[in-house]
Amino acid sequence: MSKIEEVKAKVESGKSKLVPGLVQEALDEGSAPGEILQAMVDSMSVVGDKFSSGEIFVPEMLIAAKAMSKGVEVLKPLMAGDGSASLGTCIIGTVAGDLHDIGKNLVSMMIESAGFDMVDLGVDVPADSFVQAVKDHNNVKLVACSGLLTTTMPALKEAVATIKAACPDVKVIVGGAPVTPEYATEVGADGYAPDAGSAAVKAKELATA
Amino acid sequence: MLTKKQNLMEVMKGGTPDRFVNQYEFMNLIMEVPLGVEFNYGQTWKDHWGITWRWPEGQLGMFPVHDQDLKVLKDITEWQKYVKLPEITTSDEAWAAAIDHANSVDRNEEYVTAFFAPGIFEMTHHLMSMEDALMALYEEPEAMHALIDALTEYELSFAKVLIEKIHPECIFHHDDWGSQKSSFVSPEMFEEFFLPAYKKIYGFYKANGVELIVHHSDSYAANLVPFMIEMGIDIWQGVMTTNNVPELIKQYGGKITFMGDIDSGRVDFPGWTREKIYEDAKKACEECGKLYFIPCLSQGLNISSFPGVYEATSEVIDQLSKEMF
Repeated sequence: MSKIEEVKAKVESGKSKLVPGLVQEALDEGSAPGEILQAMVDSMSVVGDKFSSGEIFVPEMLIAAKAMSKGVEVLKPLMAGDGSASLGTCIIGTVAGDLHDIGKNLVSMMIESAGFDMVDLGVDVPADSFVQAVKDHNNVKLVACSGLLTTTMPALKEAVATIKAACPDVKVIVGGAPVTPEYATEVGADGYAPDAGSAAVKAKELATA
Repeated sequence: MLTKKQNLMEVMKGGTPDRFVNQYEFMNLIMEVPLGVEFNYGQTWKDHWGITWRWPEGQLGMFPVHDQDLKVLKDITEWQKYVKLPEITTSDEAWAAAIDHANSVDRNEEYVTAFFAPGIFEMTHHLMSMEDALMALYEEPEAMHALIDALTEYELSFAKVLIEKIHPECIFHHDDWGSQKSSFVSPEMFEEFFLPAYKKIYGFYKANGVELIVHHSDSYAANLVPFMIEMGIDIWQGVMTTNNVPELIKQYGGKITFMGDIDSGRVDFPGWTREKIYEDAKKACEECGKLYFIPCLSQGLNISSFPGVYEATSEVIDQLSKEMF
C-alpha cells in the first residue's frame, strides 16, 4: 500500500496519532502536499457517505475529522498562501434564538474536511451578523445556517432572506431537524442537507457550480 | 372500567385494555425528590456537579455550557481530579415534601413514580461536551469506563436513598441516546459502555420493589431496543415517529412497550391546533394499535412547551379511545 493510500485508510479509521507521521512519510516519498490533502478530503467524503447511510455514527466521524486535521497541520506550512487548495470560505452558525450547536459543529467539521476555510459564528446568530461576516472575510462562497426547532424556523427564513438580499453572489445552505427540502426552497436557500455528510457534498457542489 | 394501572397492564401484557393509556396518566410523578436538578428560566447557574447551565429567555430549554474555562472535565485521563461526586441529601427535612406526596398517592390507581435525570450518557457529555465525550469513547476507553463506573455508583447510591424514602413503584429515567435520525453511538459501542451500567441501575431498582422502569429518550433509538429489553426497560417513552413504531411493536411487542409516536416538534409550537394534534394522534393510534403502545407526546414530562398542547393531546386521546374501543 502506498503512503498516500495509508494516509487515506488511517484518516477514514480516525487514527489521529498515526496520520501526521504518515503524511510526513508521504511527503518524504515525494508526494505533493496538494495530492495528500486531496487524498484526505476523499477519505472524509467516504466517511460522510457512511454517516449519511447510517453505517457509522457520530464518534467515528469525529475521530476521522480529528485525524484529518492532524494531517492538515503537517501540510499547512507547505501550503501557506496556496489558495488553490481551498474551495473558499464558509460562514456557519445557528440562527437567532437557536442554541443547539452539536449538529452545527459536525456540519462545520465535515465542510472543512471537504476543503473550505470555516468561520464559525457559533449559536444564536442574528441575520445581520451573517451578512457582516461575509463582508469581513475574503472569498466567502457559502453561508450555512441551521435551526433545530420549529420555533426558530422563522429566524431561518429571515436569515436566508437577509443574506441573499445583501450578498446575492453567496450561496446559502440550510439544515436542522425540522427543515425539509421543500422548506429550504420556499425560503430561498440554494441548498439543503439532511445531515453532516450530505452537507459537505452539497457545499462542494454549490461552491464549484 | 379498568383502573389506570389495570389498563396499563393489559396494554403491556397483550391483554384486553378498555381504552388507550392516556400519556402519563399512570405515573404520579414525585417531583419534590431532592435530586439537585434545577430548571431556572432566564438564568445562568452552576449545578451540584459544577456544570454551568444557561436557559436564556425565550428558549424552550436549558443547555450545559462548554466554553473551555467552564467545562468541568477538561481532560478525561484526569477525570478523578476534575469530577467530584455531589453529596446525596438524606435529611428528613429535604425529603419531607417528597414523602408527603408519595404517601398521598392511591397506589391502586397510579404508580408512585420517581423522576431521575440526567442519565449516564448525558452526564458524560454534560461534564465535558458532546464532542469530547464521544471521542473519548474511542481515544480513552479505559478512562471512560472508569468514569461511567463512578457515575453508575453515584446513581446506585442515590437509588438506595430514594427507595428508602419514598418506596417508588416506577422509575421515570431520562437519558437521550440519539438524534432524530440515529443513535449517537453505534450499537456495539452502546453495548460496551452503557448497557452494563444500566443493567446494574435498573437491576437494582427491580430488585428493590420497583415494578416499572420507564426510560425517556426522545430520539431515534430503534437499533438499541434489544439492549433496552436486556437492561430491564419496560416502557420506552419519547419514541419518535422516525423509529417506525408499528414495526417495532411487531418485532418487540410483549417484551417492551412503546410510549410516544406523537412528535412534540410537529404539534407543540406557538400556532398549534387541536386538528393537527388529532391528525398525528389518530395516525399513531391506528398504525400502532391497542397493545404494547401508549400514545403520548415525545416530550419528557407531562407538560408541553406551549400552553394547552399537553391537555389538548390528552383530550384527543380520550376521544380516540371512544372512537376506537
